[in-house]
Amino acid sequence: MKKRWVLVLIAVMVLGLWLSGCATTEAPKKPYRMSPQGTVIWNDEFEFKPPPSAWKIIQVEVGGEFGFGFLKADRGPFPSQSMFVYDEEPFGCSTELGERGGEFFKRYLWSTAMIADMKILEKKNVSVLGGEGLAVVAEGKDSVKKEKVQSKVVFGKRGDRVVAFYLTQWRPMDGTYDPSAFEVFDQFWGSFRYLKKSFYETIAQDP
Amino acid sequence: MEGHQRNQSLYDRFNARVVGVSVDDVTTLKYWAKSLDLTFPLLSNLTGFLGSYFGVGPSPEIKGFPVFSRKTVIIDKRGIIRYAKDGEPDFKGILLFLKQMNKEGGKP
Repeated sequence: MKKRWVLVLIAVMVLGLWLSGCATTEAPKKPYRMSPQGTVIWNDEFEFKPPPSAWKIIQVEVGGEFGFGFLKADRGPFPSQSMFVYDEEPFGCSTELGERGGEFFKRYLWSTAMIADMKILEKKNVSVLGGEGLAVVAEGKDSVKKEKVQSKVVFGKRGDRVVAFYLTQWRPMDGTYDPSAFEVFDQFWGSFRYLKKSFYETIAQDP
Repeated sequence: MEGHQRNQSLYDRFNARVVGVSVDDVTTLKYWAKSLDLTFPLLSNLTGFLGSYFGVGPSPEIKGFPVFSRKTVIIDKRGIIRYAKDGEPDFKGILLFLKQMNKEGGKP
């Protein structure tokens, strides 16, 4: 009797192993690799300095608002967190940086989940991606939710299209912003470079 | 729609024209087009017959609201539907398709 139970147990284990083998899926391929210089090579298309390890990768693959970026949970109560991204399709349509900035902020308020007026605190020309850029610092406050957000957006050009980098830092209304996140973000966009032409630059070429 | 607006110069290059169709009324579409700085025409199709013609129905994801699914259709100069895709527009796929059509001489 005991022998039969052992056989049944072995049969169940074998079946279990076989089924688990069937269910095994290939691990998703990482979209990045590290260069010998310690920079990140993202999809063989972008290169940039990596942020500290507390920043976790986020990316939207289909129908998203941005391409990829990094998220960090900050100390303090909800919604204390910081996120920065690289966006190939920032809100708006204009190819002129100043105009695009205006278009962008019309809809960015919704994107940050802040039902409040967003005020522009600073706007200045910068050098980004080897060309002219525009950096805008803005802050939004939501007196109903008692939350606030500070953002820095850097607009630049890839070919004739506008791209953007943006950092968003959420805080409770009485919280304080963490300037070190802005330094990490500045390193990110400051080190960012393209390793090949974009889809849009390529498709515009003949034939 | 902003994505289509951003691609206007490429659509021109491939001899394509964009037309948006919505079940919203004209006034709503006017304001919407203005807020998004859209320059291509938007058609108000209140009864939704155009959607039905192209196989677009109420969105299964949003129940209880008259929100219609999205669909992208490319029609060639002879009026033949050459491309149809449900859901979010695949902007890169659309451009590649238009480039190919333009190369073949089958201008949309």
